[in-house]
Amino acid sequence: MTLTGSGVASGTRGRRQPQLLRVFGPIDLRMRVALGVAGVASVFALWLVGAAAFAGGSLIPTPGATWTAFWDQWHTTLRGDLAASSYRILVGYTISVAIGIVLGMAMGAMRSVEAFFEPPMGFLRYIPATALVPVFLLLLGIDETPKIWLIVVGTVFFNILMMADAARAVPRELVNAAYTLGAGQWTVLRRVVFRHSVPGIVDAARVNLAAAWLMLVVAELLAANNGLGFGVERAHRFHAFPAMFALLMVFGIIGLVSDLLLRALRGRLAPWAEG
Amino acid sequence: MTTADVIEVAAEALEGPGGLVVAGVSKVFSGRRGEVAALADVDLHVEHGELVCLLGASGCGKSTLLSIIGGLDHPTSGRVTVGGDEVIGPGADRGMVFQAYSLFPWLTVRRNIEFGLELAGVDHAARTARVDELLGTMMLTEFAEALPRELSGGMRQRVAIARALAPEPDILLLDEPFGALDAQTRRHLQDFLLALWRRTGATILMVTHDVEEAIYLASRVYVLAPRPGRVLEEIDIPFGRDRGPTVKRDPRFIDLREALADALG
Ligand SMILES: Nc1ncnc2c1ncn2[C@@H]1O[C@H](COP(=O)(O)OP(=O)(O)O)[C@@H](O)[C@H]1O
Ligand SMILES: [Mg+2]
Repeated sequence: MTLTGSGVASGTRGRRQPQLLRVFGPIDLRMRVALGVAGVASVFALWLVGAAAFAGGSLIPTPGATWTAFWDQWHTTLRGDLAASSYRILVGYTISVAIGIVLGMAMGAMRSVEAFFEPPMGFLRYIPATALVPVFLLLLGIDETPKIWLIVVGTVFFNILMMADAARAVPRELVNAAYTLGAGQWTVLRRVVFRHSVPGIVDAARVNLAAAWLMLVVAELLAANNGLGFGVERAHRFHAFPAMFALLMVFGIIGLVSDLLLRALRGRLAPWAEG
Repeated sequence: MTTADVIEVAAEALEGPGGLVVAGVSKVFSGRRGEVAALADVDLHVEHGELVCLLGASGCGKSTLLSIIGGLDHPTSGRVTVGGDEVIGPGADRGMVFQAYSLFPWLTVRRNIEFGLELAGVDHAARTARVDELLGTMMLTEFAEALPRELSGGMRQRVAIARALAPEPDILLLDEPFGALDAQTRRHLQDFLLALWRRTGATILMVTHDVEEAIYLASRVYVLAPRPGRVLEEIDIPFGRDRGPTVKRDPRFIDLREALADALG
């Protein structure tokens, strides 16, 4: 008898594996969709329960009331708020991603640049960007500038660090191959390090976009006269809870859509890196 | 298309003085756990048109030596010259092929092979002609527009060799180029390399840990010993350029195999 054998035949061997909960196990598409639908349905159910439980729908509005409030706002303030917030995100986050790419690639690929920036960044990135809101508003006034720069400082460190990781992960074989084909430093940075990091850069930008919205809403809640965050504050002031909930849904949908767009962009820019 | 009739076009590929001299090269790595003597006083040379193998067990400094010749690393002491010029850094005059994963995954086969030519400022028409010629030589014409991940391991290494050959280097440095391939593909590519060498007169320095591969391909073999990496023996291989798989049954081949296996320990 061996250490693992039972010595007595019992008709089966091995541990039967579960179908749904197997670690890294495959599931088919139909099951995937079904589980996704169930997930959304559960959130919806929780919402209905909450709406019924808290003050009979006045504090937490029903989905129906939220839907109505959404269309009311759509015809009044929502489109303006959406445009104002999107503009701030677009400008602020573009600056952040641009800085992230330049510094991230340089830090990830060159030890000297890393040695210079790592200590100050290790300190700066632990200062909560939200704590900078008053400083920025005092320094830069209450127009677009402080909001845009708050988005930058609230996201740029995450972008730099994650993009530097992408650069660090570039296989040395590729770099060495380029050198031995006659490439100089700049060519290697541009045509190997950056090129190989493109999917990592898009992933970093996608993940950190959530922090950009966070910073924007904080700034708009405190000092703005338009924008989605201001919309939430206005709804709060008028106790318009359905309107507030409608805006929360808008945030969720924007997040979902931008996530899908950036995933598609990754596929377009780096089809070679798709699974 | 057969190997023989297409290699003609690449005949000028490796022309020029490729003579490589490695003189008294030592390399010490200083790491966290003290110093590692990777190479100690290595002397060797490769004449223009020779195919020389560096044979040694894993860890005896073969890759380190090849990197130093390629200019990717610097010796702690000693010097490397190619055609009389001292090597101070990497350049397309010393084409390198690595064990695996060195093709740019975002570039097609054609664009991979073109890479060095683009950097050298070769114009589009000349680039295309040169790449077409190499695609033919490497029997890769129908895969010109494929991405590396769509190719088998053997095809990828052929692309890597073509890419290194494209800028017409003085010497081709191969670091266990067939080490990650299955036995059959490996034999196939060995014959392929022999044919390439025969027809182009390329100067080639190839690293391997496979005794049979070294004897089958090389005109001379340097046997390296580990800790620190150094040249143990230099052995002339008595088979000419026109050798084929039959030499593997030659008694001298069998004797050499025994002797080299013993030398490796
Ligand atoms: N960058 C490095 N830093 C420290 N030690 C190294 C480095 N590269 C190689 N070595 C050491 O040098 C020795 C030779 O390595 P290598 O040239 O890769 O051998 P081979 O290619 O023959 O297997 C090994 O002991 C290895 O651990
Ligand atoms: Mg090696």
